[in-house]
Amino acid sequence: MSNLNAPNSPFVPFSPNPSIQSGVPTATPPLSASKPAQLGSSNLRYASSRKSIYDRHLNRTQRSELSKASFAFLFGEMIQYAQKQVSGIQDLEKKLNIQGYAIGQRLLELLLYREGRSAKRETRVLGILQFIAQTLYRHLFGKPADGLEKSREHEDEYMLIDHDPVVNSHISVPKEMSQLNCAAFVAGIIEAVLDGSLFPCRVTAHSVFSEQFPSKTVFLIKFEESVLEREAVLQ
Amino acid sequence: MVILSILILNKAGGLIYQRHFNEGLNKLSSNDYLVLAGTFHGVHAITSRISPVPGSGGLEVLESDQFRVQCFQTLTGTKLLIFAEPHQPNIDVICRRVYELYADYVMKNPFYQIEMPIRCEQFDRQLVAYIKPKQ
Amino acid sequence: MSSTKAARIGEEVWKTRIDKVNAELVTLTYGSIVAQLCKDFEGDYMEVNKQLDKMGYNIGLRLIEDFLAKTNTGRCANFRETAETISKIGFKVFLNITPTVTNWTSDNKQFSLIFDENPLADFVELPDDGRAQNELWYSNILCGVLRGALEMVQMQVDAHFASDVLRGNDTTEMRVTLIRMIDDELPPGDD
Repeated sequence: MSNLNAPNSPFVPFSPNPSIQSGVPTATPPLSASKPAQLGSSNLRYASSRKSIYDRHLNRTQRSELSKASFAFLFGEMIQYAQKQVSGIQDLEKKLNIQGYAIGQRLLELLLYREGRSAKRETRVLGILQFIAQTLYRHLFGKPADGLEKSREHEDEYMLIDHDPVVNSHISVPKEMSQLNCAAFVAGIIEAVLDGSLFPCRVTAHSVFSEQFPSKTVFLIKFEESVLEREAVLQ
Repeated sequence: MVILSILILNKAGGLIYQRHFNEGLNKLSSNDYLVLAGTFHGVHAITSRISPVPGSGGLEVLESDQFRVQCFQTLTGTKLLIFAEPHQPNIDVICRRVYELYADYVMKNPFYQIEMPIRCEQFDRQLVAYIKPKQ
Repeated sequence: MSSTKAARIGEEVWKTRIDKVNAELVTLTYGSIVAQLCKDFEGDYMEVNKQLDKMGYNIGLRLIEDFLAKTNTGRCANFRETAETISKIGFKVFLNITPTVTNWTSDNKQFSLIFDENPLADFVELPDDGRAQNELWYSNILCGVLRGALEMVQMQVDAHFASDVLRGNDTTEMRVTLIRMIDDELPPGDD
């Protein structure tokens, strides 16, 4: 990764430090800790009989299930907690985005690890979007995203469509807050996966009502200039 | 199977939800419904105390020539009232399903404040989708 | 209700009436919540514990209706039955675990729940800052949930963690105490 910063390189330099990289929510801590994890010098206690988390296989919980209700109640509390701290809908969505962002960072690593030898490093926009629409979505929600579209008006915009986001299934937004879409949480997950794959962007969730799909959500993905430049070079 | 209306009362007897499924009903003013709910809550409490059978719950079924009302009280004190045409079977099943919908689309809605009137669009939609085909 | 009957009911409801999601979605979401709290309270883990308990309480007030609607559980005859219901049905239908009920006091008003598995804390390691392991109860939201849920069915309880493997203890144990039955708000007719 280190030679990517060569001046003539078409690749975007990526720093885990959020203050250097634009487009990253500044409240998100970088994934790598400031000091490397040295178990020898760590002061953590471990249970005498039980092994630590490093002894458990990462794939152990891959197909485990919990009740959707558990997620719904936790997500509901997340929303209520965030609501107390902010005053506007946009700020609320931003808070949810940030909480999703932390998850996306971890999921990206986890999903790529699980793909093992067949993991492919995506360098094209369509490739990474398919990864999100298929692999990521299937893992989190048990179904692929319902559609992927490229904007006709704006070169840097793509849309990921979900007819009935799992995260919104129990939520009814009050009429006075009709602009709010709590899937901003999922937008954060998507944004983190894209940022982490070197496709810096901004992702927002928008409600699009239709008779057939009253809960339809469109995730608007707006890529930064550098992504388009690289895409053009790779064409 | 004709369901006429569904009312939900909170623990204090306040009316937090009403939905009518039959156009032919007499329209009462919204204040009347609040009074109706409060009255029922009181009657429910009284009936349990005057019941000759010890340890019985409150009023469960009220049947007349014109209608039948069934009251399902949860362990938490919330009451679901189903108004239907007389001699309707299987109202129990409907009560249970409405309770499930209440748990799913009202309780799990972070924008719903407990004990307050229910204004959850998904709950309305799901309830209508469940009841309408039965009419 | 006997323990085996409760276990059977819990298993059946889990299999047939519960919508499920990927466990990691829940684990990661909970992790995000705790991490955000730790950040907001700048490492004041006692405050984080309090906030988690409060959040859990809010959840419990609502979760009880979902529990009752899905399981059709009737009123428990005594606190021992309540404990079995919580462990074999409650935890089963929400977290697919059945913590062991043990360590009853002689007056039957206090018991422990021992968690062999805790999906909320999967792959979690507390921060190595010298304080988290002594102060933070990572899964404290569960205590609040029990408190809120039981209050809605007229039981005032105290629930707190006595030990947690995340803190280096050998077990994860929650202690639940019945403080009193709330009679004045009892739905009329039930006893």
